[in-house]
This record gives sequence, structure tokens and C-alpha cells, in this order.
Amino acid sequence: MSGRSPRYSAWSLLRGRFSGPGFWRPLWSGRQLQKAYDVVVVGAGGHGLATAYHLARDHGIQRIAVLEKRLVGYGNVGRNTTIVRSNYLLPENHYFYEDALRRWETLSRDLNYNVMYSPRGVLDLALSDGEMVSLARRGNAMRLAGIDAELMDRAGVMKFARELVPAGTRRFDIVGGLLQQRSGTVRHDAVAWGYARAASALGVDIIEDCEVTGLVTTGGVATGVETSQGSVAAGRVVFAVAGHTGAIGTMLGVPLPVETHLLQAMVTEPIKPLINSVLIYVHPHGEVYTLQSDRGGVVMGGFLDGFPSYTREGRWSRLEDVVQSAVALLPQIAGLRILRHWAGTNDMTMDGSFIIDRIRYDNVFLNGGWCYGGFKSIPASGAACAQFVATGTAPDLIRAHTLSRFASGHLLDERGGGPFPVRL
Amino acid sequence: MNAVMMRLTCPFCGARELNEFQFHKTAPEPGANPFASVYERVNRTDISQEYWQHVQGCRAWLYVSRNPSTGEVYQVNLLGTQP
Repeated sequence: MSGRSPRYSAWSLLRGRFSGPGFWRPLWSGRQLQKAYDVVVVGAGGHGLATAYHLARDHGIQRIAVLEKRLVGYGNVGRNTTIVRSNYLLPENHYFYEDALRRWETLSRDLNYNVMYSPRGVLDLALSDGEMVSLARRGNAMRLAGIDAELMDRAGVMKFARELVPAGTRRFDIVGGLLQQRSGTVRHDAVAWGYARAASALGVDIIEDCEVTGLVTTGGVATGVETSQGSVAAGRVVFAVAGHTGAIGTMLGVPLPVETHLLQAMVTEPIKPLINSVLIYVHPHGEVYTLQSDRGGVVMGGFLDGFPSYTREGRWSRLEDVVQSAVALLPQIAGLRILRHWAGTNDMTMDGSFIIDRIRYDNVFLNGGWCYGGFKSIPASGAACAQFVATGTAPDLIRAHTLSRFASGHLLDERGGGPFPVRL
Repeated sequence: MNAVMMRLTCPFCGARELNEFQFHKTAPEPGANPFASVYERVNRTDISQEYWQHVQGCRAWLYVSRNPSTGEVYQVNLLGTQP
């Protein structure tokens, strides 16, 4: 373990206090790119790092590299609104996200890194009877699968979410809600850093500033990748490039059922504790989700910008729409100033569910199309994707999430909206 | 460089706020089979050819070509009259 940070514990904290400078090491060491690897993972975000971590830990694969165009955690793992939940309607999705939620509960211990999992509850609100019916349907589907869900009437919502009570002048009153108590938030940057540190400790090479520009093939088999630091031989290649999955399809000559959209989020100046859970309201013309960060800022997000973009610069009208919806829900926050505002690129698939499958070659894998579920799925995706790559067989949890489901008609259309990621 | 796309120029109405327009989908490759034109999308980072509609204006269907990495709009044509 020399050259790496010691295991975190009360004992190492004490030792660190009395040791000189240099006791604490960088979380992942700056290794050099080697000429050949058993597995090359493209993209050092949550999914890439988690896949590499599980390949090394669960499947004993020795030579693994994670190649990253920019920095660890530069992409969507650092741009989301930190929400984790498993309140999905379709069995193929809710079992998978439930597996992720169970892994979130123990992740800090598994990684020896505090990811600050906070099961503060996610409350979906209904402002009409019709919305109540659809929440009840989703809640029932979850309970049949053994996942916790609690349907609440107005009094229940007001008791659980005190911050909603003073808003007596709300134009549309709250009818009820669907609560998943075990859901909540996880510190997103800590997830990237924790996985990077744990993977690095298992011998994974994490190479930053190394853009993959092409795939090297010989006789219908991929043999490596071309990068900005030279070519690298690889036994297997995994693409986990959230937000640029469509571009990978173009690079490999495989048109994908994916559109790339921007999703914006913003955070206000810090205030005293106000919002105790995660509040979500989805309506036919958009949506808003809001929570309070541990630092006190009110974090808000909403719907997609609505057209393909890689700019990571959100459109003004969406920001306005999110803020208006949030203020309609919580009039108390109307006077707050927004400190930061950003956007991430989302791979939106044509049925709203993700894809983990082989792409074009037998030894090339695609982990993408995460739509809105990229962050909350990281631990389950890493474990399942690693098992698929290591054994060649997709585990049951992701068996339905193939690339061929669009052609065969076995869509996982969570939203029931047809082959469009956005319909407002 | 116009990094954030704020307006589109409708052939009938002139430059209007982006909010008035609705994106429909990217245009399929010429000769694409029915499956591809429904489910698959052209994902190029340098140019994107798209169908839009001026829903809160003259309701004309438009064919827009623009750069999705910079936000720059190259051309807006009435659908069917694109080059």
C-alpha cells in the first residue's frame, strides 16, 4: 500500500495527526498508461469507475485501465442533483434500481469512504386526483415487488413535509403524495472519489487527460483503442461515457436509439434547514425536484432543455420554468438568490430505459442511455456491467436492457410516451 | 460565437425567441429504413439536421441545421425546401 492513502479509520486519523506531512496520499495515484490491458474502460465517471472497481474486486481481473478525456468526475457524476431512489413502475427497472438502493445503503463501508448517504425520503406530490391515481399505480407496482412505498393523503403529506404547510395561498392545493422513505441523497463527488480511490487501491490504472479517439479492430474483433496518448491493446473494451453515448455509436458506425439532451440544475445561497426530504412534482408541461444540500443551499432541477446539445449550457426558459415551479411549491424560497447553475448532457433513449449490452463486436460493451437514472444506478450498474464483461453473460437484473429490444419490440417504456425522449 | 442558442429565425416570422419553437427529432439519413427512421438517431457532435415546429407562432414545420457542440445555427428552412 506504499504510495497510497492509508485506510480511513479512527486509528489512521490519530496516526495522521501525529505523523508529518505526506502521511495522507492522493486518493488515486497518477499512473502511466501501459501498452496492454485485459479490460479498458472508457470514461472515469461513476459507471466507468464502479465497473472497474467490481471487475477488480469481484472478478479478479488484474490489468484494468480507466481512460478519461478530462478529469475524474468531470461529467454527469458531478452534475446531477444527488438523488437516489427506486420508485419505478416497470419490474425490469424497479428491481434494478432497488438493487442500487440496497448497495447505496452500505457503500460507505464497502468503499471505506463516506459518501454521505442520507435516507431523507423522496416524496412525489400530486396536485390533482388524476395524479393521485398514477402515483397509486406506481406505488402498488413497487409494493408488489417488495419495495417500500407509502401513499399519503393531504394530511399525511403536510405532516411529513412541514415546509409545505405555510403555503396557504397555493393556487393548486396538494392532494397527496407517494413517499419512498429509504430514498434520499448521496454526496455525488464523494461517489466518484470513493470509487476512484477504491479501484486504484485494487491496482486499476486511472488515466486522466486521455481521450479515446477510435477502436482498433483485427478481423472483426476489437483489439484495442486509439487514444490521445497512443494506442493501447485491450482484451475487452467498455464504453461508459454518459452524455456522449450517441457519439460512441457514430464512432463505431452503429446508429443508436439515443438523443443527447441537456438537463439543468441550480443551487441557491445557503439557508437554515427548511426542506427535510426530496420533493418532486411532475406535471404535463415539465417538472421540478427540490432538496436542501448539507451546506444549506436549495438544489433544484427540472425537465430537459428539449433539443440535442453537447454545450453543457442550459437554455434560459427552462431555468425560469424550474424556478417558477419551485416557488409555486415553496413560496418561502422566492427571495433566495441562485448561486450556481449548470447543465449536464443526458443520453435519452427512445424508451426511457438504459442500455448495457455488447455493441458491434463480441468484446466491446456499451453502458449508457441512462436518461434520468444515471447517478442513482451507479453501484448496481457497476456490479452488473462488471459481471457481464467478466463472464460474457448478462446477469438477470440487466437481461432486458439490450440494444436489440428496440428492433424486437420489447421496449421498457417507463413513461409510455413512444419513441421520443421529450414530448411536452 | 453564439454559445447559447437563444433564437431561431423563422422564414415567415423572422428571429423569434427559442421558447416559441418545439424540437421534434433529428432528420433520418436519406434512405433510412422505417425502423431506423423511427427509433435510431443521427448523433453527430459537429452538425445536427433537425425537424422543428414554430408551435407558438405560424406553426410552420422547419428544417434546422445547427452545431450541437457550440449552439451555432447554420440554416433554418421551411420543411421541404431544404437544400
